[in-house]
Amino acid sequence: MRPTLAAKWVAVVAGTAIVIALPFVVSQFRAVQLATVAVYFIAIVGLDILTGYSGQISLGHGALMAVGGYTTGILMTHHGWPDLATIPVAALVGGAVGVAVGIPALRLHGLYLALATFGVAVALPTILKKFDHFTGGSTGLSLFSHLTGHGVGVTILGHRLTNNDWLYALTWSIAIPLFLLAWWLVSSAFGRSIRAVRDNELAAAASGVNRATYKVAAFGVSAAYAGVAGALYAVVSTFVNPDTFPITLSLYLLVGAVVGGYGSIWGAALGALLIQFLDDIVDVLPGIDPKQAGPRTFFFGAVLVVVMIVLPLLTRLTNRVYTRS
Amino acid sequence: MTEFLQQVVSGLASGGIYGSLALAVVLIYRSTGVVNFAQGEMATLSAFVCWTFMDHGVAFWPAFALTLVLSFFGGVAVETVFVRPVQGAPTLAIVILTIGLLIMVNGLTTWIWGGAAKPFDGPFSTEPIDVGGVRFSKQDLGVIVVSLIVIALMWLLFSRTKLGLGLRAAAVNPIESRLVGVRVAWMLALGWGLAAVLGAVAGVMAAPSLFLDPNMMQTVLLYAFAAAVLGGMDSPVGAVVGGLLLGVLLNLVGTYIDWVGGQLRLATALAVILVVLLVRPAGLFGRQAVQRV
Amino acid sequence: MKKLAALIVLLACAPVALASSSATPGVSAKEVVVGSSGPLSGEAAAAAGVLRGAEAYFKYVNGRGGVNGRKITFKYLDDAYDPSKTVENVRQLIQQDQVFALFGVVGTNSNLAIRDFTNAAKVPVVFSQSGATTFGKDYVKYPYTIGYLPPYAEEAEIYAKHILATNPKKAKIAVLYQSDDYGKDLLAGLRRGLGSKNAELLVKAVGYDPTTSDVQSQVADLKASGANTFMVFAFGKFAIQAVVYANKLGWKPSLYINDVASATAIMQLMPQSTVQGAISIAFGKDPATPKWANDPGTKLAGQIIKKYVPGGNPKDGFLIAGMASAYSFADALKKAGKNLTREGLMKAVTNMNEPANPFLLPGIKVHTTPKFRFPVTQVSLQRWQKGHWVLFGGLQSARP
Repeated sequence: MRPTLAAKWVAVVAGTAIVIALPFVVSQFRAVQLATVAVYFIAIVGLDILTGYSGQISLGHGALMAVGGYTTGILMTHHGWPDLATIPVAALVGGAVGVAVGIPALRLHGLYLALATFGVAVALPTILKKFDHFTGGSTGLSLFSHLTGHGVGVTILGHRLTNNDWLYALTWSIAIPLFLLAWWLVSSAFGRSIRAVRDNELAAAASGVNRATYKVAAFGVSAAYAGVAGALYAVVSTFVNPDTFPITLSLYLLVGAVVGGYGSIWGAALGALLIQFLDDIVDVLPGIDPKQAGPRTFFFGAVLVVVMIVLPLLTRLTNRVYTRS
Repeated sequence: MTEFLQQVVSGLASGGIYGSLALAVVLIYRSTGVVNFAQGEMATLSAFVCWTFMDHGVAFWPAFALTLVLSFFGGVAVETVFVRPVQGAPTLAIVILTIGLLIMVNGLTTWIWGGAAKPFDGPFSTEPIDVGGVRFSKQDLGVIVVSLIVIALMWLLFSRTKLGLGLRAAAVNPIESRLVGVRVAWMLALGWGLAAVLGAVAGVMAAPSLFLDPNMMQTVLLYAFAAAVLGGMDSPVGAVVGGLLLGVLLNLVGTYIDWVGGQLRLATALAVILVVLLVRPAGLFGRQAVQRV
Repeated sequence: MKKLAALIVLLACAPVALASSSATPGVSAKEVVVGSSGPLSGEAAAAAGVLRGAEAYFKYVNGRGGVNGRKITFKYLDDAYDPSKTVENVRQLIQQDQVFALFGVVGTNSNLAIRDFTNAAKVPVVFSQSGATTFGKDYVKYPYTIGYLPPYAEEAEIYAKHILATNPKKAKIAVLYQSDDYGKDLLAGLRRGLGSKNAELLVKAVGYDPTTSDVQSQVADLKASGANTFMVFAFGKFAIQAVVYANKLGWKPSLYINDVASATAIMQLMPQSTVQGAISIAFGKDPATPKWANDPGTKLAGQIIKKYVPGGNPKDGFLIAGMASAYSFADALKKAGKNLTREGLMKAVTNMNEPANPFLLPGIKVHTTPKFRFPVTQVSLQRWQKGHWVLFGGLQSARP
């Protein structure tokens, strides 16, 4: 039962309406949490394009977010740029890094690409700390004084927004257009080509699809999304530091991408909500002490494991991933 | 010169730990074609189990033996319960599953034993032995010796026994193996069980010097991957040799190249992975895969 | 479709909060809510003991009626030493849990990450667990933030002065330091303390990243420099490893262990032959030091731990450190009076005059003024002898 095109449009319109309405009914704190959800959402959509649609597994998506986050951080603290202006730059820089990574990644298949990207994600914090002249080292960069609204509030078109509402508006007003862009991409010839390459490289090549171009392009697009997500993450956290992009971020993004529909962008919101709110859900379970980190991590992993086992058995939406053995 | 030798020797000691975990990774890869990202966490869990036995008064060697047995069954259980259901799924799916296991086991370990590091009394003393100005401890020697014994046993298993033959056959061609009577399902479970035992050995050997905490093997896992890649993903000998080489390389690079210093060890391991995968993916001892069209 | 469903579910669960009508958040007639964040998991998890110790002390105070009739509710969250999680936690504590103030936030980077927005929101962040000088020095820009611990830089200066006093001609110093602000502050303080002799006496300094698994290679490197004095500016297991490896390599330098790693429980894990005579500083009463075995403050701490920290070790230095700062916090709360406001708390905190904190060394006065915001600036040197610390030299100044 694949959703029809009409159903997809309904979902998008309804989703957008909800996003617009939410801040009027939820608390301030929820608003800023949902802003973080938007950040994860953008990152997951990007990861979906790379891993779900183009079949290149990446365990280093958090590292690509770091590229965007630090681009923003460096431009803001070393060069005094306003935060908004850094976002397109973060996208471009992210995209460029993605292309640069995508080229050698062509030679690495499946498992080996997973290993290599895993390595990048694990080693990245130490590399960021090494180049402390740019990155502020382990202390990181504080963005607070350069943020729009200085963390207090913003006036738009005569309306005064609190800081949290501003962050919510900023992140979602970028997230939704990026989602639409992604939808367009995966439904277009580009999307068909990358899926063709994913499913059967030989057949794709025989049909005239240049696998190298499309795989690298997918990496670039995915990394551009991650760059934007990283930039926004920095803005929401007001602070950027090598430890804010640890290996667990990359792994959780993968969890989000998979749980939210096995690499389909239509589940990205669910995945993003999961990453942000699973802690809160776990805390409510009987016998769990919210101060303990163990149970939260355990259930996070358990959710992924269960989804990986159960999902293929249940739904046939995931057929596309099983077209080859 | 003495300093050089000293760095080499202590590099061999830490390399022994990387090699033993790499062995576990390679075993699962060889017998099931999967890279188990949860290998490090499973090893940590085994080390905690051993610690718990010792905390309750059991002496080291009996505790160690018990841990190995439990780890074996643990590995079999993991394969049967979690991996078996996704048999036949593409590599991507199984990798994600093992990552889920990584997160889950890490959470479980933190949940049960808490986050703080615990000291672990190893079987070998840390008193130094002096050989011509170069010093190492019995513990270092013990780690290297144990790794070598284990690899020898593995080699024997794989190349000289019928079981080993069955394991290899099941990995390479499950369908035809079944036709000749190999119980493929049991072979896969067995592979995971043995790997869990290897991981347990690595974890228990590592704990005295790295200190036991739930994240103990997280960075070691990357070093183990680098060792396995360097040695060749399908070569047990390669895993151990790769581990030893990597340990020495990391020490020498860290000491003699100031810019790397003590802070870029992980990055150096990453560099090893990238260089090997891009230049000679089969590693030192692996077989070059021929892609049939 | 899933996206839609998920958003509807979330909407149904989202709490609708009305603007808080009370004048001061977190304060009611019977309760004051205080928040914190620290590494309950991850590589620095041992330091979380300060939060547990503080919690236990607050429970004890509550058991005796609280402060000015209010019970202290202490809520703390795990950030695994990831500053972006600290930001998230503190946002939650301020905006959702409506805490009155933050207390004892653990870690230099964590405190740096939250400093800007807590000051913008005018929320006090009091007695943070960090010795970074900036938390006492930069109060003009950040008036709502104040530290507690004696500054790391000054601690290292004291070590430098000790070396200059005892072995000025022949000392050759090697330093192992954690490559973040805490370790670098110590190293900088050491250099400053050595003054003009810095280049001559400090032969090698090697850093390590706390995500590394071990420091064998670094220690071997330091030994090869020919040093006879080893400064261990490292934390927890790395400090232990440093001494274990020095021992293994047959290196027997004079050891200086930084305060953060000097808890008796940690020292006892090191090879005793090497660590004999090691020097550190102390400002709290380490319960394992025989001198304090019968001290009323230590006994009180033991009782509190027994009653309020299930499974807690009465000899855990981190628990005591937490209690010391909690005592000062309760003291400040009391001084802030029955009519409790955030401004009132900051006024109390910048006018501390506490002569007898039961958990700090006798003679240490917790003292602040609006222009001098370093609460604890007196320490004593101590030497490790036969399995425990022995204080010597009287109280020294660690005033920046």
